[in-house]
Amino acid sequence: MMAKTIIDAHNVSKVYNPKTVPVHAVQNVHVHIEEGEFVALVGPSGSGKSTLLNMMGGLDEPTIGSVIIDDVEITSLAENKLIDFRLHNIGFVFQSFNLIPVLTAKENVGFVLQLQNVPKEEREKRVMQLLKEVGLEDKINSKPGELSGGQQQRVAVARALASKPKIILADEPTANLDSKSAGNLLDIMAKLNKEEKITFLFSTHDMRVIKKARRVITLVDGKIDSDVQQIPS
Amino acid sequence: MLIQIAWRNIWRNKTRSFVVISSIIIGLWAGVFMLAFSWGMYKNNIDDTVFKQLSHIQIHHPLFKEETDSKYSIPNTDQILQKLRLNKDIASVSSRIISSGMITSPTTASGVKIYGINPVEEEKQIGLNEHVRQGAYFKSAKQNEILIGEKLAKKLKIKLKSKVVLTFTNIENEIVSGAFRVGGLYRSKNISLDEVNVYVKQNYLKDLLELDNSNSNEIAILLKNEEQMEVVKAYSINLVPNGKVEDWKELSPELGMVIESFNLYTYIITGIILLALTFGIVNTMLMSVLERVRELGMLMAIGLNKRKIFIMIMLETLYLTLIGCPIGLLVGWLTNNFLGEHGINISMFSEGLASYGFSSVIYPALDYEKYVIVAVMCFFTAILAAIYPAYKALQLNPSEAIRKI
Repeated sequence: MMAKTIIDAHNVSKVYNPKTVPVHAVQNVHVHIEEGEFVALVGPSGSGKSTLLNMMGGLDEPTIGSVIIDDVEITSLAENKLIDFRLHNIGFVFQSFNLIPVLTAKENVGFVLQLQNVPKEEREKRVMQLLKEVGLEDKINSKPGELSGGQQQRVAVARALASKPKIILADEPTANLDSKSAGNLLDIMAKLNKEEKITFLFSTHDMRVIKKARRVITLVDGKIDSDVQQIPS
Repeated sequence: MLIQIAWRNIWRNKTRSFVVISSIIIGLWAGVFMLAFSWGMYKNNIDDTVFKQLSHIQIHHPLFKEETDSKYSIPNTDQILQKLRLNKDIASVSSRIISSGMITSPTTASGVKIYGINPVEEEKQIGLNEHVRQGAYFKSAKQNEILIGEKLAKKLKIKLKSKVVLTFTNIENEIVSGAFRVGGLYRSKNISLDEVNVYVKQNYLKDLLELDNSNSNEIAILLKNEEQMEVVKAYSINLVPNGKVEDWKELSPELGMVIESFNLYTYIITGIILLALTFGIVNTMLMSVLERVRELGMLMAIGLNKRKIFIMIMLETLYLTLIGCPIGLLVGWLTNNFLGEHGINISMFSEGLASYGFSSVIYPALDYEKYVIVAVMCFFTAILAAIYPAYKALQLNPSEAIRKI
């Protein structure tokens, strides 16, 4: 049986400063991501991978084209509906500034659930389970400042997972991590992808991430240069 | 949740928050103190006018105030005074004979207002005996004794025991003169009045004016409690149906204006202080928003909508202001209470102030109503100051905000 297309970026382009000095960050890109894929979006700096990722996550609006996620055309959603859509369907992991500094690991993970009005008991149960999954059950009351970079990213993954999203978009999640922390994080993500069928889409130029991916899309100058399937190592 | 995050956010940069809160505390303390100091000055002036000059209520012949002529008098004064003394709301009463005339010394002359008083009664009313600096307060048995202000004495170049002549018109409109001996020199808190008012014994002046012994020009009533003013006024009108009964606000409309203008002054002073504070608060909150652009972008990305971002920033600003306001008001209230009891001696400037009727010791005072006004204005300032930084946060686009370094 063919897997369902979860993300369909149709002919998307993004032009910055269209009226002054136009910068074509992404040009006429067609991408279909299927449910349960583990995709790395790679390319040199300025190739448009973060821009494409942001558009696919509804953080940025394409100048031309449309993005359909799970049969919903997010490019036509009103701002608040789009925020709500992101809250329920997409988990984000950023390179840095991922967590709310004034909240503990437990509160950070529970934050998204609170936004979804999940009852307290259920919320706490899920938060504990997620933090256990990322191996941080002993750091639940630590604030981001008290955690290492790798631990912070693991909390971010736990938070991204909290709302049981269909997709997790990660923008260079390992860029600031040492090898051990990066490996650890990737193992957790790969495990979640395999066991919970969550679709993962990374923008990265980290070889460690690229090697773990089953599909690698390479962008050069805002255009898709190659799109290959591979066996993760 | 937002309440908790906003609260923790303001303590991320403790120094900055303390600086803002301190500036609010100092600003409000200064404002409240300034208001209390000014009101203390005015109140002193008002109290002096009421207790040392006008009394709470005065009764005159209806035409007396228009022409200030002694012939317009209230008959049967003694009986009226007796009845008034029986009223439990009245602290003291006195009658006065008033005439305008000229005081002449061997060297010069000056226009004066002559008060014929009953010295014993007036001790409880205007308390002139407390202000006598030289000589005595009608202690001699002589009938032609006169009490004049130090300033007038200086102007007339006379001393204690000097002889002066008062010239005025009697009730028949004939010019009469009387020789008086200066028995005492007084200095009240209102130097400008000291130059004009002279006091003589009532019976002696009555004789000179040829006024009936039972008549007087003014009945002054001092109340135990000012709140009973309307009741006593009604009682007085009943007692003297043909007289004109007026309270101190009617007698001295400028004092009413002082109160009115002070209310306006409260709004202006508080408004200026809060406006200055608003800029400080807006500046701090803007800094706080701008240095958290990426974090705010992340919050929007993970699902915090703009309304909630707006509320969060508003709450942060409100917290800062609403912590500072009560403390500032409390410190101001404590300062005012302490100084209200002990007073502030500004004798360095008292000469100048005394000529305007102000005392040299100021007792700051402020009604609770004014504290409420300041508190309400403070609350609106908090909201006003919160809007712009929160609005600025709304302008952020999550993807741009996340990219921002």
